[in-house]
Amino acid sequence: MSVSRPSSTDRSEPSPAPVVISTRRTPLSARGEPAVWLLGLALCLCVTLVVALMSVIVREGLRTFWPRPIELVTLVGGEKLLGVPMQDESFDAADGEADAIESRRGASGLTEGAFGDDGRPTRRLYRVGNRDVGQEPFRWVTLANVVSIERPAAAVMLERQEWGVWIGVPRSIYRQEHIKVPASAGELQAAGVIDTESGSRGVERTLLGTESDGTRVVRQRTGLMGAPKDGVSFPSREAWALLDSLHEEATDRAARIKAIEKDDIGAINHDMESWRLRVRKAEMERDRAAADAGGTLGGALALPAWIGGLTVVLALAGLVVVLSRRTDHRTSLMRMVRPALLVVAGLVAAWCVLESPWSHRRVTDADVEIVKAQADAALGELQASYDKALGRIDELRTLDEQFRVEVVDARGRFAPVRQTAPDEPLMLSQIVRVVRPNDLNFAGKLGVYFSRWAEFLGGDPRDTNTAGGVFPVLFGTVSLTLLLSLLVVPMGVVAALYLREYAKQGLVTSVVRIAVNNLAGVPSIVYGVFGLGFFCYTMGQYIDQGPAAPALRFDWWLTLGGGALATIVAVCVAIMAKPMPGTPVRGVHRVMAFVAGACWLLAAGLGAAAVFRTPYFHGFFAERAPNPVFGTRGLLWASITLALMTLPVVIVATEEAIASVPRSMREGSYGCGASKWQTIRRIVLPGAMPGIMTGMILAMARGAGEVAPLMLVGAVKLAPDLPISASAPFVHLERSFMHLGFHIYDLGFQSPDSEAARPLVWTTTLLLIAVVATLNVAAIWLRGSLRSRMKTGVF
Amino acid sequence: MVSPVESNSVPSGRVMIRPMAQDRGSIPARVTMPASGGDGGATPQVRYPIIDAIRRGEAVESRTHESVKLEDHVLQIRQFCLWYGAAQALHSIDMPVARGRVTALIGPSGCGKSTLLRSVNRLNDLIDGVHVKGEMILNGRPVYAHDVDVIDLRKRMGMVFQKPNPFPMSIYENVVYPLRIDGENRRSVLDAACERSLKAAAIWDEVKDRLSQSALGLSGGQQQRLCIARAIVADPEVLLLDEPCSALDPVATLRIEDLIHEISERYTVLIVTHNMQQAARVSDYTAFMYLGRLVEYGSTADIFQRPTLEETEDYVSGRFG
Ligand SMILES: Nc1ncnc2c1ncn2[C@@H]1O[C@H](COP(=O)(O)OP(=O)(O)OP(=O)(O)O)[C@@H](O)[C@H]1O
Ligand SMILES: [Mg+2]
Repeated sequence: MSVSRPSSTDRSEPSPAPVVISTRRTPLSARGEPAVWLLGLALCLCVTLVVALMSVIVREGLRTFWPRPIELVTLVGGEKLLGVPMQDESFDAADGEADAIESRRGASGLTEGAFGDDGRPTRRLYRVGNRDVGQEPFRWVTLANVVSIERPAAAVMLERQEWGVWIGVPRSIYRQEHIKVPASAGELQAAGVIDTESGSRGVERTLLGTESDGTRVVRQRTGLMGAPKDGVSFPSREAWALLDSLHEEATDRAARIKAIEKDDIGAINHDMESWRLRVRKAEMERDRAAADAGGTLGGALALPAWIGGLTVVLALAGLVVVLSRRTDHRTSLMRMVRPALLVVAGLVAAWCVLESPWSHRRVTDADVEIVKAQADAALGELQASYDKALGRIDELRTLDEQFRVEVVDARGRFAPVRQTAPDEPLMLSQIVRVVRPNDLNFAGKLGVYFSRWAEFLGGDPRDTNTAGGVFPVLFGTVSLTLLLSLLVVPMGVVAALYLREYAKQGLVTSVVRIAVNNLAGVPSIVYGVFGLGFFCYTMGQYIDQGPAAPALRFDWWLTLGGGALATIVAVCVAIMAKPMPGTPVRGVHRVMAFVAGACWLLAAGLGAAAVFRTPYFHGFFAERAPNPVFGTRGLLWASITLALMTLPVVIVATEEAIASVPRSMREGSYGCGASKWQTIRRIVLPGAMPGIMTGMILAMARGAGEVAPLMLVGAVKLAPDLPISASAPFVHLERSFMHLGFHIYDLGFQSPDSEAARPLVWTTTLLLIAVVATLNVAAIWLRGSLRSRMKTGVF
Repeated sequence: MVSPVESNSVPSGRVMIRPMAQDRGSIPARVTMPASGGDGGATPQVRYPIIDAIRRGEAVESRTHESVKLEDHVLQIRQFCLWYGAAQALHSIDMPVARGRVTALIGPSGCGKSTLLRSVNRLNDLIDGVHVKGEMILNGRPVYAHDVDVIDLRKRMGMVFQKPNPFPMSIYENVVYPLRIDGENRRSVLDAACERSLKAAAIWDEVKDRLSQSALGLSGGQQQRLCIARAIVADPEVLLLDEPCSALDPVATLRIEDLIHEISERYTVLIVTHNMQQAARVSDYTAFMYLGRLVEYGSTADIFQRPTLEETEDYVSGRFG
């Protein structure tokens, strides 16, 4: 007490002076204000970055589909081009060009903005399209070299099924037929076939050739709008209306063709294939039956042995029932005997089922012949309807080929029907959308904008993914993410529950925990490699073909018996390893627990060996060999791989959540007489639910944005079918799928016209973010409603 | 010898219920004690031979009054020891508990009251490293036998904890929880049981209109009464109360004490309390524990008015501990 700081002695003495509250004596650092500023600054920085990124994505993503004007540019040399201006930039001209550009400075009629504020020349990127006539689809134009820029009202941008866009001015629409006329010159004259050069207005006929019997083949073109060689009648109201209505008809026809191909022909093919597979299966079964006649026991012994086995099972089961009736004998010995009896009974029962004399009916040659006959009859019928469907398609196609449109670019070339047929103009059905931005008012542009969005969200991709919709991609992403969270949550919760509630906290649990945490840091591509190797190839092949190297039956039963023995030993030792209530844990118990664990491991290993080498399973899709069903990349394997990847997140979150359920709640529950499992199910799990949901949200967010492993285990550039269908089994988890993340990569870096696809990259990114955000918001909402159900009240 | 102080003259037993504030005021302040203050352990060495022996770790004979031994016993605790790992928390407790009576456990903090209470329904089994020695016999059957069904044992005892611990469910579900885990799902049975025990816990009028609301929205006192309702819903034989009023205001405390009165007609009650007045008011028998040992055990009237040990007398009058 005697030695103390001066301040305390000061305080202990009564101070005569009144206390004055000092102002601002505390140093700035003590009050922490600089820290607050720094923290605020850091937060601002983060927020700014995020907001900037988001606003760029949103802005670019939303404006992709807005129709932009088409400009007709005339250059100094007289060259003309039609294109959509994309962006302007200043540049330093190359030496050769620089003088020419410089000489244009101050020239009359110079385009506005030809030279920037800093005096450097400006150039403009035009999207000129028309890839199929050998033109670069994008072109830089130095503005100083431009004489004039117009926006012709008739200019259109055709979005085509293939070869990107065509930018031009429509000249005519006509109907083109191939007619055959008799050989004689007089008849030829009568049919009005004349030379191309002197066509009369409206109809133009061209002699294409003569067939061997002398018949002449003549191409006849009937003008529908603007004669084949006459002046342009675009843009006029009627012209647009005719183009639109014809285009609509053509689109309808194309859709009908597609429907027939996909539904009718698809179903026929499917049926044919399944008949072929049925025959194949019957043959395989016959071969197998021939190969392993006899089973484990000889034919004569089979029945008595089987009856003996059955008797053993019944006796054991009866014994178990009798034992469990006598509840007063619940000694630890009894507790050990019962599971042992059950395991043995189960084993013998399995033998009885698998080796029963009636278990596999032998398939004979006669059976196979019957199946073959059935298949032949069915295949004949199917072939007939197949031909009929093909005929319908041919009819529609012929009609389709008649309607042609000539759209010429600034150099007078029209869009060809194929790259290899430059003198045949485009068919109407090849056009997806006709956009005439210069002739549209705001409402019209809005219509185009929304129709493009509708196609984007609801349609299939086309033109090697660089255009069209992303519906299958969207579907694949959403189903992958949902499936992944459906898989990862139970796995994670089970693991975390065992780790936290049942496992003895010690070295082993620590090691497991560290390992789990480290798994979160493993690069995702490693999971992809593992998934491909283990799930797709090993598991998938097992499902398809059965075990690659099945064990001999005797060996297999030995394995199974060993596994059962290990299980019995494990259970018994585990029961003995529990110390009597109220007595301390001794070394003996630790050793026994260790032995029990080892036995469990052994049992699991032998069980796995038994499963993977069973001679009784021959695969679900053996008849399809060598075509894989599950044995290749697919939605199921991809979601399991991602579930594995995101498992640590869920385990850690769930463990935290379980640990945060207060001890008093558990004790209250135990005090009410609840067992451990009841406490976990009714108190711990509901209490941990919000935390588990948090884990799920994190897992979902990580899984939805992952691309690298998907490239290995399931995502493909173009999936022919959705993972669901209208025919049984409706859900096809074995199918490969498309994914937004992979689609972005594909669009931006793998497509033949990646410059044109770049705006779509933004839009797809926006969509991916929207999907992830939507899923997260849904999960957060779910968590919120869970939380509010058990919200804490005032104390 | 200390002169008789006012609190010593408090008539023990349940008949006397006095407002708390007056009781508090009547406890003499420490400063009036002649030998307390600076010189630490010297005085107790002289004045409290038994306490001192316990502190030295010596075994002492606990004084159990004859009146206790004459009762019909629902629970026999014999030579009961308990260790938390290496640390011994209970030292050979010998303590019979009378059937249909309220028995209070008193003693300074950390003396093992909760531990003893939790050993009765084997809640201590849940703590790693606990082991026990000795016997605890409930209705003639040992509690710590290896073939005892612990779940069933706990079902036959209701327990209320120091801090109210309602589950994050509706009030209704809280009360019927013990029945639900028993597999009882008939609505009519649950409804009846819920109403009966909420009425017995004197909370029915307050919650009958909000049975489906979260129990966490109740006040602390209401929550504690709810926990009592939950503890008695399955008709237990023994009710274990661990400082049920420590978080409550005087009014709620009085209500819960009334409640203990009422339910003690049907159940055996074992209650831990730090409040001497409460022990005096609600209990028939009182056990005084110190550092894991039972010091004196007898009828409440004897313990509070005619204790055989000076230690007990000083502890209940608040001059020590
Ligand atoms: N889980 C535990 N692990 C180790 N020691 C414990 C544990 N619980 C209690 N103890 C010890 O056992 C002794 C008795 O504790 P107990 O909780 O029974 O005291 P108490 O009489 O209930 O005290 P209080 O009146 O403060 O509640 C104390 O020394 C305490 O530190
Ligand atoms: Mg306590």
